[in-house]
Amino acid sequence: MISGEAITLELGQPFPDLDLPDHTGRPRLLSEVAGGDPVALVFFRGFWCPKEQRYMRALVGTQEEFEVAYARLVAVSVDSPEVQSAFRAGLGARFVFLSDAERRWLEPLGLLEAEDTVHQPYRPTVLTLFPDLTVHAVYRGDWFWGRATMEELRQDMRAITHAVREG
Amino acid sequence: MAAPSFRWLWFDGEHLSLDPEARGRRFGADPRPFEVEPVRGAWAHVCAVPDDESARIPYDQPEIQLARADALAWWIPLLGDSLVCLTTLSLDSVHYGGAITVARDPDRFRADPFARLFPGRVVRTDLFGEVPPPPGPVLERYAGAPWPAGTFGG
Repeated sequence: MISGEAITLELGQPFPDLDLPDHTGRPRLLSEVAGGDPVALVFFRGFWCPKEQRYMRALVGTQEEFEVAYARLVAVSVDSPEVQSAFRAGLGARFVFLSDAERRWLEPLGLLEAEDTVHQPYRPTVLTLFPDLTVHAVYRGDWFWGRATMEELRQDMRAITHAVREG
Repeated sequence: MAAPSFRWLWFDGEHLSLDPEARGRRFGADPRPFEVEPVRGAWAHVCAVPDDESARIPYDQPEIQLARADALAWWIPLLGDSLVCLTTLSLDSVHYGGAITVARDPDRFRADPFARLFPGRVVRTDLFGEVPPPPGPVLERYAGAPWPAGTFGG
């Protein structure tokens, strides 16, 4: 549920429990999708952006590590569930996509890419979250290079896992 | 005390039952579908051998990992709104005994990736309620629970 309070994407702050449909159209909560595991949360513009196509292919290249490491990958865009489902299948992704086609969370999160008045997409942003959705790191993805590299995701998942798991 | 990460289920080749007195082979299933209102008249595709205790595979064999990955990649999206729930079936903490996909109609069961491991049989069932499908990409099991059951979350 979106509150009237401004949301700050800062380290140590709680990230909101997004309520959005997934790529099959089922309603989901981010906390449910996280399932008590560390999360890499990726806001991307949409299927049409060549930078995002490149970045999503890189994410798919690391999904096998997430599969065995009790960590979650979640991608959010303004694409409809139908479009996301097709994009996901084309990529060979096995993680969940969340659709904000109604653009409900764009402005509360402060992630509207206002320069693109055609698509009104999310500004490319990657967050790594603790299992309780506390923000561990924020990567502003402008100019492509601002996005989290796969190595940075590995380092963040390592740090979060060390912090929350025994042993 | 943590909730149990599986629920015993019996399958005799024709019927699924939660009754310990029921006939058939015993399997551990994801407990969540039995904790919500069941979907009446659903169809279950049971990919398990009901009368052969030797029909078992270590859970971490590559072919089982591939079936779980296929479930996340295309089996769950293919079923769409028809899907009620999906669970693998454990025999103990390390052995896979099969899988059950429950849907509102059985039309797509012939594509079930778990049927590559043990043959599937279609049975009517009133036991299973709807639970959200696993979001992926995690396909490791949590503390020996039958995938996708369990969590490390508090």
